[in-house]
Amino acid sequence: MAVRPAVDIDPTKDEKTGKVREVGSLAVWSLSSCKPGFGVDQLRDDNLDTYWQSDGPQPHLVNIQFRRKMTIQDVAIYADYKSDESYTPSRISVRIGNHFNDLQEIEIVDLNEPTGWVVIPLTDVSDRPIRTFMVQIAVLSNHQNGRDTHMRQIKIHSPVNDGSVSKFPNFTSLECSQFTCIR
Amino acid sequence: MIIQEPIQAAIWHALNHYAFTDAIFLAERLYAEVKSDDALFLLATSYYRSGKPGKAYSLLQTRGCPTAQCRYLMAKCCMDMDKLSKAESWLMGGNLLRSKNSYEDLINEYGDAACFSLSLLGKIYSKTERVAKAAEQLKRSLKLNPFLWSSYEQLCNLGEKPDPAKVFQLSNLQTFSSCQSAYSSTCPAPTPTATQQLPPATDSTPVIEHVENQVPVQETPPFSDAVQTRLMPSVDSGLKQLGDQADLSMSDMPQVPMVPRCVGRPRPRAGRSLLGGPTALSPFTPSFGVLPLDTPSPAENLGTFITPSPTLIHVETHGGLGLGIPDPKAPTKKTMTRRGSKPPVFSQSGTNNTSVTSAQQSGLGYSAVTNVRRSSRLFSNANSVKENNKGNLLLNAAGKKNRTRGKSSITQPSFNELNELNKPEKPETVTTPQAQAVGLQKAAAEGLMLLLQKMGKAYSCLAQYNSKQAIEIFDELPAHHLNTGWVLSHLGRAHFELAEYNQACKYFTEVRRMEPYHLEGMEYYSTALWHLQKEVALSALAQELSDCDKESPEAWCAVGNCFSLQKEHDAAIKFFQRAVQVDASFAYAYTLLGHEYVLTEELDKAMSCFRNAIRIDPRHYNAWYGVGMIYYKQEKFSLAEVHFKKALSINPQSSVLMCHIGVVQHALQRSDQALATLNKAIATDPKNPLCKFHRASILFANDKHQDALKELEELKEIVPKESLVYFLIGKVHKKLGNTHLALMNFSWAMDLDPKGANNQIKEAIDKRYVNDDDEPSVGFDHDQAEGGEESLNLTDMSHESSIVDADEMHLHAMESDESL
Repeated sequence: MAVRPAVDIDPTKDEKTGKVREVGSLAVWSLSSCKPGFGVDQLRDDNLDTYWQSDGPQPHLVNIQFRRKMTIQDVAIYADYKSDESYTPSRISVRIGNHFNDLQEIEIVDLNEPTGWVVIPLTDVSDRPIRTFMVQIAVLSNHQNGRDTHMRQIKIHSPVNDGSVSKFPNFTSLECSQFTCIR
Repeated sequence: MIIQEPIQAAIWHALNHYAFTDAIFLAERLYAEVKSDDALFLLATSYYRSGKPGKAYSLLQTRGCPTAQCRYLMAKCCMDMDKLSKAESWLMGGNLLRSKNSYEDLINEYGDAACFSLSLLGKIYSKTERVAKAAEQLKRSLKLNPFLWSSYEQLCNLGEKPDPAKVFQLSNLQTFSSCQSAYSSTCPAPTPTATQQLPPATDSTPVIEHVENQVPVQETPPFSDAVQTRLMPSVDSGLKQLGDQADLSMSDMPQVPMVPRCVGRPRPRAGRSLLGGPTALSPFTPSFGVLPLDTPSPAENLGTFITPSPTLIHVETHGGLGLGIPDPKAPTKKTMTRRGSKPPVFSQSGTNNTSVTSAQQSGLGYSAVTNVRRSSRLFSNANSVKENNKGNLLLNAAGKKNRTRGKSSITQPSFNELNELNKPEKPETVTTPQAQAVGLQKAAAEGLMLLLQKMGKAYSCLAQYNSKQAIEIFDELPAHHLNTGWVLSHLGRAHFELAEYNQACKYFTEVRRMEPYHLEGMEYYSTALWHLQKEVALSALAQELSDCDKESPEAWCAVGNCFSLQKEHDAAIKFFQRAVQVDASFAYAYTLLGHEYVLTEELDKAMSCFRNAIRIDPRHYNAWYGVGMIYYKQEKFSLAEVHFKKALSINPQSSVLMCHIGVVQHALQRSDQALATLNKAIATDPKNPLCKFHRASILFANDKHQDALKELEELKEIVPKESLVYFLIGKVHKKLGNTHLALMNFSWAMDLDPKGANNQIKEAIDKRYVNDDDEPSVGFDHDQAEGGEESLNLTDMSHESSIVDADEMHLHAMESDESL
């Protein structure tokens, strides 16, 4: 039960450097409940003004299912206490597994009035990114004991090129990298 | 006397001046009035030239194609609309199962347009994967008309190795006529004002336009022998100048259809006799593009007496054909290549009928020239036809290369003088002038042929990916040809194929500077910039190209490359898809799209893109490479090897491909073969550091540590800033047990890799101290977990590294007694 402070970072920065890829587009997203007009599209539209609003009992779930086993490095959630107040999640649990009946919790995060992106790295016992078919993000409780939750954006990142050095060497210098491939 | 059909003349006149709405309107009225085949062809041509192949297609489909020329036009429309099977059936006249002999019939049927029909047929066959037939037809078309560069290019692209020396020669050409336009469809009728305008460069040449030249164009349908339509002289003033009656019509030559006598924009004509000596005789005489003869007006042919206005050839630049102004700086080199005397060869306007007469004899036989003039009148048909054709031919051929050569001068003054005196000409034997005329024509064309031979050889080498030789041959071209967009961009491409991206970029920037509208080949420029990671230059290029032409696939490829370099792969995919939409037969766009899909891990889509590229162009080795890469990622190494080898068979000098093959062979446990391949790769291209790197890693994997170390030390000299080199050295040392050296190199590697792109380096260091034995391997190259048998005093090494690492703290905690 690690407590992670919310940090004000931009997950897209890593994407730009090419180290991680946003793989949400390769997955099927589903929600435990939502208010009409505030569903998955608003959660995945790259717009921090639109949000998902749940509409059912807790815990509220976001299920992300991939067609094949993916290596996931981290999950980034945008939460903003100032605009969402009691809708802001305060306790988030991340579970992974093969399917709905096979999920195991690997991470619990406590948030305290977050005001930006919360990046939750998902690593296994040896500190490597996890490999899984399905990720479930569960909102266990909200600030001020709110019933429903708002989530503005979720991004899920996979490391680029985690092959071995010999198989896919990642050359850092220009002289080498221009010979790595034919385009 | 042949009466000219005024309406048709007016329509051709409009077409020649790109007044398409007028032409279409008139043609529609004409067709409604007289539903003849010619009128139909004229209407369809007007539609086609105004950029509406669809309209021409519908028209010809409903009305049928009675004549061969209509069929050819119909086939062209079908090609433009991508209806390949229809195009083929129209060309073949409905008889698709043609045997060999029937192609001869085809040639006879199409007459002058036979070479183009065959060329079109060849292109259809090559698009429908009938490579052998395509090659055959293209070769035939080249035999008929060696000026068809596009046929030659297509032959090379199909993988054939045509011999440029044999292809580009005129000796086996029966007549020039098959290469030359039989009708002056491109000849604009001269107007008095037009005649006065001259491109400045040409002003210098003493061009005396022959009266006749001012005669408006006559246009005749190329295929029909029978009808000759003449235009009423539209330039009355011109005629008046000559005091001639208009009505110069060329007699119809039985063997050659009417010669166009379009006098394009005649040069300053001083009306009569100009004698003006050659005001500007350029010291350089181009070897082709210009004919130095005066051209007795075709009217002479009719027997009308032409006032002895000097009939010097005028150099015309026919804008329509894209000829530039004669370049007074024509290199002398050309003259040397020219055979025979250096007849100044003037470029003539498209239908310049200056050629009209055999007057085009250059200074040789000066008197013969004058005589020729006279006799040319008698035989003008033959000569003028030839000359006209030559002019056309030259123009057509030259159009591409912006050839206008300066005028030839040397003989001009003499001509002028002679012309003056020429009034009473004595008839001479017919044959001599004719022969001379033909000889001159040939000489001029030979000049072009020599150039084409050289360029053909270079292009053929490039198509076979023999880039070094191609570069050599291109460099031998004369400077004024070397500095054209086409040549420079192909030079850039040659360097690109050799992976010399910096050189390639230099050539491409030169092209951009000289001809910013030259888009072919720019996709390779954008990829070269992508390899060099020059973001600013690439985005500037993308911006410029897309501004220049939104319909060109090269521009969208450049934009896509730009976004790909910024790692915005989704946007890049969007733009590459746009490139594909804009031009479905642009194989490279598919290849780039495939690469982007690979980067976003959508391997199925990537595979289909690469296969599309291969379908469009089986010799596109990048696509074969792409397929191989997909199999490699999926660890299907034997399939990967097959595809890499196929790519290598197309492009045998690519060291990158050989490198990949070596790596794959190693993955298939065939390390000796892998090493041999890598040796070959290093021999081919010593500048490629990756070959050495992979060789070193294979030696390391085979436990040949000393060799590996030697290799890596050399590599360190070549690329001192590459972190993976140090990483590999570190691993080797670790294996050898030199822990301190290993750690030293690991820390160097980490230093050089600030972004930590390779987490494995960190892992490798960590693993030394973390006591786990069950290390999951990272690929097949993994570090053995040493279970912390040794621990080092890291502080000793701290002077080498600047690593501040949580794990280091951990390590410090594990200080051992040993110290280095």
